[in-house]
Order: sequence, then C-alpha cells, then structure tokens
Amino acid sequence: MSAVGTVFRKELLDVLRDRRTLLFMLVIPTLSIPLMMWLTADLVTSFMEKMARKQVDVLVLNAEAAPDLVEELRQRSNPMGLALQLSRLLESRGLTEKDLSLVKGEDPRAFERLLTARGIDRDELMGEVRGLMGAQEFEPNVASLIGSAFPPNFRVVTELDKDLGDPRDPAQREAVLLQAVRTDRLGAAVLLPADARERLARGDTAELQVFYLDSSDRSTLAFKGLEGIFRSMGKRITAERLAERQLPPGLASPLKLKPTRLPGPGLLIKIMGQLLPYMILIFAFLGALYPAIDLGAGEKERGTLETLLVAPVSRLSLVLGKFLVVLLAALVSAVLATVSLGLSLQIGFLAELSLLSGGTFSFSFLEGAMALAMILPVSCIFSALLLALSIFAKSFKEGQSYAGPLQLVVIMPAFVSFLPGVELDWFMASMPVVNVSLALKEIFTGNLDQHWGHMGLIFLSTSVCAGLLLWAAAWWFRREQVLFRS
Amino acid sequence: MDASTPARVEVEGLSKVFRGPKHKQIKAVDDVSFTAHAGEIFGLLGANGAGKTTTLRVLSTMLSPTAGDARLCGFSVVRRPEEVRRRIGFLSTATSLYGRLTAREMVIYFGRLHGMAPAALEARRQELFELFGMQSFADVRCDKLSTGMKQKVSIVRSVLHDPEVMIFDEPTAGLDVLTSRTIVAFVQDCRARGKCVIFSTHIMDEVDQLCDRVGVIHAGRLLACEPLDALRARAPSRRVGDAFVALVESAGVQP
Repeated sequence: MSAVGTVFRKELLDVLRDRRTLLFMLVIPTLSIPLMMWLTADLVTSFMEKMARKQVDVLVLNAEAAPDLVEELRQRSNPMGLALQLSRLLESRGLTEKDLSLVKGEDPRAFERLLTARGIDRDELMGEVRGLMGAQEFEPNVASLIGSAFPPNFRVVTELDKDLGDPRDPAQREAVLLQAVRTDRLGAAVLLPADARERLARGDTAELQVFYLDSSDRSTLAFKGLEGIFRSMGKRITAERLAERQLPPGLASPLKLKPTRLPGPGLLIKIMGQLLPYMILIFAFLGALYPAIDLGAGEKERGTLETLLVAPVSRLSLVLGKFLVVLLAALVSAVLATVSLGLSLQIGFLAELSLLSGGTFSFSFLEGAMALAMILPVSCIFSALLLALSIFAKSFKEGQSYAGPLQLVVIMPAFVSFLPGVELDWFMASMPVVNVSLALKEIFTGNLDQHWGHMGLIFLSTSVCAGLLLWAAAWWFRREQVLFRS
Repeated sequence: MDASTPARVEVEGLSKVFRGPKHKQIKAVDDVSFTAHAGEIFGLLGANGAGKTTTLRVLSTMLSPTAGDARLCGFSVVRRPEEVRRRIGFLSTATSLYGRLTAREMVIYFGRLHGMAPAALEARRQELFELFGMQSFADVRCDKLSTGMKQKVSIVRSVLHDPEVMIFDEPTAGLDVLTSRTIVAFVQDCRARGKCVIFSTHIMDEVDQLCDRVGVIHAGRLLACEPLDALRARAPSRRVGDAFVALVESAGVQP
C-alpha cells in the first residue's frame, strides 16, 4: 500500500501546482459565497429602494365622486409633510428604510434588538415619534413606523394623455390602462364608485377597483402601496365612525392576532438549512472536477500515462492514489465553502439578519461529525464518478464535456434542500445525493435527533454506492479499451 | 548469438487482436515469435502501423496478448506483469514527463514506484545526473526544459532501477540530430553493459548503425528474424532499405 501513498503524494503535488485546480478548489469556494451574498442582498435591496423612491403616477378615475378621499390619498402617498419629518427623524437616529424592512414581518423583539444594536433608547425614540405624530392613531410598533415613514412616492393624477384613449370609457378602459402601464406612464389606477361619498356617509362600504399589471415590478409595488394607504384610511374611517356613535374602539376589530415566535431556530437557521446543503454538494463536486480531469484525461493528453503504466505498481494503487487526491480536493472545497459562509455571516447584511432573528448559526460537535459522515461518502461518489469519466476521456476537453451533463445530475438533487415541504422520510432517504442534501438540511436546522434511523440508512447506502463506484473506476482503469482508446 | 549469453526476452506465438468499428477484428500482431539475449540489440523494423508499438506494449505489459505469451527474464507478461515491469526500462517518444514536476522530483517519483530505498535512490540519482550532466537543471520544472534535456530526464527515468531489458519504441522519432545522437549513444552503452535491448524503428540508418539482429515486421507478421548481415544479404545492393522493401514485396501482404 506504500505505492498508494507514493502516488497520492505525487498527484497532490502535481495538482497543487496547477492554477486551474487551485482556482476551483480554493479561490472559487472561498470567494463566491460572500460575493453572491453581497450581490443578492445588497444590490437587490438597493435596486428595490431606488425603485420604491422613484415617483410613480397613479390615476384616479371618478375623482369627483369623493374629492376628500383623493386629497387624503395625495397626502399619504407623498413623501412630504409629516411622513417626511418622520423619515428624517428615524434617519437621524441611524435607522434607514432598509433596516426597518429587515424587521418588518418580525415580532417586536426583533425591532427592540435592532434598537439595542444601534444604541438607541427605545422610550426616548418613541417619545419623539409621538410628539411628531400628535399621539393620534399611532401604535409604537414596527409595522406602523414603516407604514408611516418612508411612504410610497405617488403622484396622484386624474387625467391621462389624450392620445392613449379614454380610460373613462368602460369598453376601452383595460386596454388604455394596460398601454399606460406598459409604457411606464402609469403605475396603477383606482376607480372610485360614483356613489362613493354617499356610501361612506351612510356607513356603508365603497368598493375601490385597483388596476395593476402583475408582470411589472413597478406596478405591483404601486398596488402594494395603494393597499397600505387605503388600509390606513379604512382604519381611520372606522375609528371615526365608532367615536361618532360612542362605541368602544375595539368593536370593529374583535379579534386581533399577536404573532409570538417561539425561541427556537429562527429565520437565519432556516436559510442556512436550505443554503448550506446546496453549497456543500456543489462545491464538493466542483472541487473534485478539475483534479479528476487532470489526473485521468490530462495524463492521456500529456502522454504521461504510458510512462506511469510501465512502472511496477498495480493499477489499483494508481487508481486509489489518484482517487484520494480528488476526494481531498472535494472535501477541502466543501469545507472552505462552509467556513466562508460562516464568516460571511459575521459581516454585512447577513450579520444584521442573524442579529435580528435572534439566533446565531452554530452546530455541536456531534452535528459537525454527522454532517461530515454525510459529506464524506457523497464526495467519494463524485470523485469516483468524475475519475471514471476522466479516465475514459482522451483529452482534457473531452473530459470537461462529459462532466458538463453530470453537473446537472448533481445540481438538481442538491437543489431539493430549497424546495419547501420536501421532508426526509424513508422514501427520500433511499434516493442517492437527494438524501444527503435533505440529511444536511435536517442536521443544520437542529433536527438530527428526529432522524437517526434515516441518517444511518443514508450513510450506509451512500457508502455502499461510493464503494461500488470506486470499484468500478478501478476495474475501468484496468481495461485496455479505456486506457488506449483511439 | 551464441548459446553462452542467456535469453532475456522470449516471445512465443504472440498475437494481439483489437476490436475495430462495426465489430471488425484488427490483427495488430499476428503470431510473432523471437528471442533476444543479454548484450545484444534486437531491432524491430517495420513501416508505420506494422505492429511494432503494439508488440512492445505487450512486452511492457501495457496491453495483454490475445494469444501466445512472452517471457522477460523468465517472467510471463500474462501471469506476472508486475515482475516484468520491475525488470524492464521502457522509453519512447510517447512516454512524456510530468510538466509540473522538476527533473529531480520526476526521477525520485519513479524510483519510489520501483520500490527503491530512499538512500539508494538518491545515490543512484546523483550518479545518473552527473553522468548525463543534468545537475544544472535538476530543479527546473520539466515543462520548462528543452527537448534534449527532457530526453535525458526520460533516459534517467528508464534506467534508474538498472533493468536487465531495455525496450525502446522509436525513441528518436521527432527528435533533432543532436538529441538523436544522445539516444543512439545511450542504446550502444546499454549493450556494452550487457543489457538486452529491443529497439523498434522505421529508420534504416539506425538499424545499420545499431542492431545485431533484426526482426522485420509487416502487417502484424514477422517476415524475417535474422542477424543484420543476413538481412543485408537479401538485397544485391546489400543495403538494409532495399532488403526491407524486397522482403515486404515478396510477402505480398497488404498492410
């Protein structure tokens, strides 16, 4: 077996001197994750922000049916006046729109943690906010803060360009509005019922028809903005009606939901549970890719295969030595990706997220060991498969073209960790690669204790599969038709 | 050769059949037999595609024969391939070097694969590097070496374990005159040190210059196996080239 060691050491040295391998094994797994996070998190939110701040036209049809309603819409959808002052107040305390959107759907504790992290005194801030808003209809919570500050930026119009046609005409209304939205002249349109004022006056409901285009981000955003504004207006009207009739303010809202999150694994853990298995599998594969092609097809292409074959070592030793180098590359790449992801969490957007969701991502020694027990055999599968392909290929290029479709076979099952509702059961535990992806997801979300049986099955079946593939690769390497294809 | 020098390579009824496209069988080597002894250079002469390389690949155990057998130093290529590989040095233009290893690393790697002890290996390496004047580029990566330097590294790689049998498969193909000379001198040196040398070529000059006995191979079949003088005698001009052409034409086999 010392021959295996000799081959392993030489191949490792050889591979480490290849820039391509180093790139795929060390650089890409380390850099791609922070880069990806930065792109998706920072860039996307900043685009969204820009879009949200840009002024969008909203058309109101039948505005004359309820002029005071239109006037209120105008006030609430304009980042001037009260809303502007509130935004300025929050910004002066170091709270941006992005910060608030981070804690939007979260429970108040996330907001409290955000304030603590920024060193802002909660009571003092709320006192200032209340002073500004005149204590009216304002609950000091995140939702109302976000709703009141940073409002959507609409310009309310009652007329459209004449050349588009007449939106008042029911027959051509939808066509005209569609054209206006598609040419970016309009975000959305509101149709007031002709009897809006009367209906509201007698305590009835006025149905407001909002036209928007699903496929346009700008239009959907305008629709959501309108939804929020009209909800606040509805609340105001309800409160006034109740006060007029001297009825208790809770009459129209008998049940109120108060979401209280249990102190278990939070949003961050969920994201990690989805992301990590995918990353680990992809990078294990990519890490193995270049060394495998280099050590098989590369050897043929450069004409060193014959030199090696006349040395008095068994073909099995050669395959094992090469296989171990490929496996090492796969593991190094997967581990680097994991570490890099862990470090990315300490900085930037995700650090904020992990702070707010209240949980930090960490795993115990046992969980780490189990994760490795899942990663090791599946990396063996990738390494053996790639090495077998590579030995068959006549050149580096041919090897790469074979590895291309194989990549899909790996990416698709790995992606399962992202699918909601796919759970690890006995059926899933019997699907190769898919099972490892799901097992890693369960391990990283802290559900290891629920799945010992599945884990055992996955480890055994993946190991057997890896062993068979390695055996096949060794057999493959003894075949003249494979080694001397021409 | 007289009976006093032991036979090192004994080839008996060796055949190799490849499966071509559409299940066509291609007889690359067809019932070839010959014997080569210690201290002689046995030339395998043939045109391109005659079966020289396949024969030598079988002798060096890279390919296994379809029929027949060959014994090198008494070990069968079929039953004891690793023992055979321990005792042969193989050199051809197809046996390249690892470009990302230095000359020293390359040689050490193959010494280890031959199971040489570290101290003995290092001593042998120094001896050979001095002999071939390679100290100046011992630590240069092989892909940075000139063709001549590369050839020297290959030579050292092939004789490191002091093999009894040296197999050369067209070792001068594609090399310039100067580099070829190094090889030719090395082949002669091998004979002087009592090695058994198998040397394949399609260059008549090399046969003239080097070989003691010659096997003429054509379309996988050994047409003649005789001392160089006997081969020359087949042509009125007494030139190897003419003798070769006469042999091939009289055999009447199409390649």
